[in-house]
Formats: sequence, structure tokens, C-alpha cells
Amino acid sequence: MSTELGLAIRRKSATPASSTGIRRHTTEIAKLVDIDLCIGCKACEVACKEWNDLPSDHTSNFGSYQSHPDLTASTWDLMRFNEIELDNGDLAWLIRKDSCLHCDDPGCLAACPAPGAIVQYTNGIVNFDQTKCIGCQYCVTGCPFDIPRFDQKTKKVYKCTLCVDRVSAALEPACVKSCPTGAIKFGGKPEMVGIANGKVDKLKKRGFAHAMLYDPAGVGGLHMMYVVPRGDRLSDYGLPEDPHVPGTFFSALSVLRKLGSISVWGGLAATAIFYLRTGRRKPPPEDDAVTEAERLGREPAPVGAGHAAPGDGDSASGAGDGVGPVSMPQPPPPQPEPQEEER
Amino acid sequence: MSALRMGTDAQTNGEGAAGPTLERYTLTDRIVHWWVALTFIALMASGFALGYPRAYFLSGLFGGGQTMRFLHPWFGVAFTLGILWMLLSWARDMRINAADREWVRRLRTYTAEGHTGLDTGRYNAGQKGYYWFSVALGLALFITGLPLWGAWLGGAAALHHWARFLHHGAFLLMVGGFIIHVYMSTVMFPGTFSAMTTGRVSRAWAAWHHPAWFRVQDRRRAGANR
Repeated sequence: MSTELGLAIRRKSATPASSTGIRRHTTEIAKLVDIDLCIGCKACEVACKEWNDLPSDHTSNFGSYQSHPDLTASTWDLMRFNEIELDNGDLAWLIRKDSCLHCDDPGCLAACPAPGAIVQYTNGIVNFDQTKCIGCQYCVTGCPFDIPRFDQKTKKVYKCTLCVDRVSAALEPACVKSCPTGAIKFGGKPEMVGIANGKVDKLKKRGFAHAMLYDPAGVGGLHMMYVVPRGDRLSDYGLPEDPHVPGTFFSALSVLRKLGSISVWGGLAATAIFYLRTGRRKPPPEDDAVTEAERLGREPAPVGAGHAAPGDGDSASGAGDGVGPVSMPQPPPPQPEPQEEER
Repeated sequence: MSALRMGTDAQTNGEGAAGPTLERYTLTDRIVHWWVALTFIALMASGFALGYPRAYFLSGLFGGGQTMRFLHPWFGVAFTLGILWMLLSWARDMRINAADREWVRRLRTYTAEGHTGLDTGRYNAGQKGYYWFSVALGLALFITGLPLWGAWLGGAAALHHWARFLHHGAFLLMVGGFIIHVYMSTVMFPGTFSAMTTGRVSRAWAAWHHPAWFRVQDRRRAGANR
């Protein structure tokens, strides 16, 4: 939840050129969740609550072994118990630890309009800074995994921090520490990918032909990856097949934004130049203006009051004579001026 | 015209050098105008802060980002109500007619000279155009703003993204119109800004810019003074 923690920053939301850049290399970290080893004990859920000092949410029986129906602003880690029937009629329990996947190309960060409210460190952790969050919830629609949760009381958005405070102190995240079967591993990303690939091979030998490492390219890869035994049934795990940052949208928006700032500044400059060229347009002296108005009134057929609806023909006649660029009123034909009586 | 009409010619005449003036906008007209104007300025400032990271400092005007985010949609509601009010009360004077087509044909003369020489009524085609432009975009901004207000309004991510893009586009068009409107009514044509503050214009201003409207108003004024 805090921002810097001595960790170098890769980028911040709504902050142009936020990269600290100068560093040569930072090891990217990753969590690896081996779904095959997970027994659904929920120790990670409890550890997450404990370490992050989060209040417990009321649990209810909704016909599942799952503790809560969904993630909340104060439940950042949830074991999802998905029961499915296989083609051969067997039952399978696809238990998945659901929490922020820390995309390398985070949709939440791209969507966020509040400078610095979402931070991505060079190690890959994506974190929210609630002190800067304005509660717009654009991150919720930017996230392809439906992770951020809005709190009605604080009007801010929360999610897993990947225990950035522990990681910055060279400790593993709380969920990793608590896992009794070693289903959640933590380390450098290349190392985790290596372990995952080994495990996928093993699963394939055991008959899980579609076993896979879940690290989709559409979001630039993940800093929390899964080893998925039944890779042909991703949607049953609640994992999108091909998640991606809405790239077309964000690039269209940034083009529009650039266009916008160019045209607003350009428009102001053009207005200033227009002023310097043409200056102010004062009406002529009252008598001249009035004479001209009276002449216009006489010239074509009488014009409907206030509606200014001369036929097409007579407006053209108005164009002909007295409307030279200087628009000097024509010499008025002698006529009692109405204003004389008024005064 | 309206019960809220302020001041009479006799009073204005009593002020001396200014000369007789004509009522251009009733108190109601001016309240609607400034209601829409002030809510628009608030929306524009907070909109720039929300849409442009480099303009985020404007959030300070609203008590910080979170308060600004809370206020922006409500400003939008207030603005939309003003727009609807404008639509109900001004639309009749803003109907496009044949003379407006001729005005548009002389747009080049108008920008170059500040005058077309046409027998223009209460509003010229440019004013009518800006009115309809603002009403249409104002309503578009309200509609595209709804999905952005909050997740409680539901809606898929795709809807949210479309709404955000269109909201931004409509906003930019509106800002463009606003720059031109402010320039023309303050710097370009003297006497126009005070029309919207005092409600009154000089006879010269009226006769020069809106001759057909001027003749009717001036006759009415002369009648009243007699």
C-alpha cells in the first residue's frame, strides 16, 4: 500500500515519463501457484488477512466450500472452488487461488487517471496507493481479471499488494510462507518459469495432456503465474483464455489526448493571432448603425419582427449593395428619424 | 417581456451619457446563461484534470482528486439541467430559417469584417449554430458520462471504454466552441459581454448586429417612452 519502500519504480499511473530508468537491471519476481499441489486449505487466505491487518468478512454458506462468494475490498485472496463434471462423468474440483496477477502490462495502471495512484515497481509488483486514489474505478474496467474492489466506505480501490512491504525486506509474501504443500512458490521470474515448465512436463506424463503454464502474452506476462493441469478448461478455473490490455482503446485515447492538447493550445494561439489581425469590432456611431438598420428594414419587403426571415431573394439583394467590406452605411434617404421624437 | 425584466428605459436614460438601451436578455435568460457557464467551467477544469495528467494540478481547485471525482458528475447533472432549461426557453428563437443560409454563405465576410450586412434578427446563424452545437454536445456529454460515473451503473468494460473515448471527444469539441464563444462575446464584439451581465445593449450595438430585432425593440421602446 505504501509506495516507494526503497524499490525502484518502473511506471506510475497518469505520470508521463515516470520510469526511473537509470538502473541497469532488476530481477523480476514472480509467484507461481501450482494448482496440482493445492489442497484448498485456505491458509493463504488467512495469512493474507493477518499480514495485511484486514478485517474478516462475514462468511456464508452458499453451497460451496469457498469461504466468501467473491473478492472484496478487504479480502484480497480467495480460494475459488469450482466443481465441474468431466467428459467421463467424473467430478473434478478446480481450486484456484484468486488474487491480483500483477500483469507486466497492467490494464489498471493504464486506465488510471490519478497520478501515482497505481505504481509498478521494476520487480514487477503492481500496487495501489490509496492516498492518491480518487475512487473513479477506471482500474476496475481496465483489469482483464476482475480483481480491484471498490470500498463504499473509503471510496477507494484495493487489491493484493504481493506483500510489497515483505518483498522489499527480502521476505516471501505471506501466502507463500503459509502454504503447507508448497503449492505457492516465490522467486525470480525466470526461475519460476523453469520450475513451472518442469511441472507441466510431469503433469503431461501423468496424463494431463493439456497441462500448461498460465502466463498470457496479452498482458505482457504475469508476476503471479499458474500451473494449470487442465489447460483445455481454463474458463472452468475462471481464467480468461486470452486476456489482454485493451490496447486499441488506450492507444486511441492517447492519440485523442495528444490531438486534444495540440488543438486546445493551437486554438488559443489562433485566437490570439486572430485578435492581433482583426482587433475589436466596435459598432459604428449610433446614428449610422440605426440608419443602416432602418434602410435594411425598408429595402426588401417588410421583415417579420424578430424572426429575420426575409425570403431567399431579398437577402441576396441585401448582399449586393451596402455590404462592402467596410460596410459603411448608405447615405440615408431623408426621412424623419424615429429617435428624434423619443428624445 | 418577462415579469423578471429589470429596469426601464427611463431609468437607464437617467444615467446620462450612456443613452437609451434595449433589453436583450431578461433576468431569467441571464441566470440560465451563467448557470450553464459556471457549471461548464467547473466541468472543464475538472475534466482537464481527469483527462490530462499534466492538468491534474487543477484538482486542487476542487479540494483534491477524490473530492473532484465526486463533484464532477454532480456538476454534470447541474449543467445538464441548465442545458435542458436553455433548450426549453431559447429554442424558439433559435429556429434556423432561410436567412441563416445566406449568413453562412457570408461567413468569410463575417470573420473578416465582423459584419455581414444582412438584416439579422434576434440571433444570427452563428449564434444559432453555437446554441444547437452546445445543446447537442451537452446532452452527449451527459449520456456518455453516465457509464463513467460509477460501477453501480453496471456496464461492461467495452461500454466503459467507448463512453470514455466519446466523452473525451465531445469534451474537446465543446472546449473548442467555448474558446470561440468567449473570444467573440468578450474581446471581439464590445457591448456583448455586458449584454449578458446587465441584460441591456446600446442602440448602436443592436442596430449594427441585429437590425431586424433592433427595429422591433426600438419601436416598442419608443412607444413605451411616449
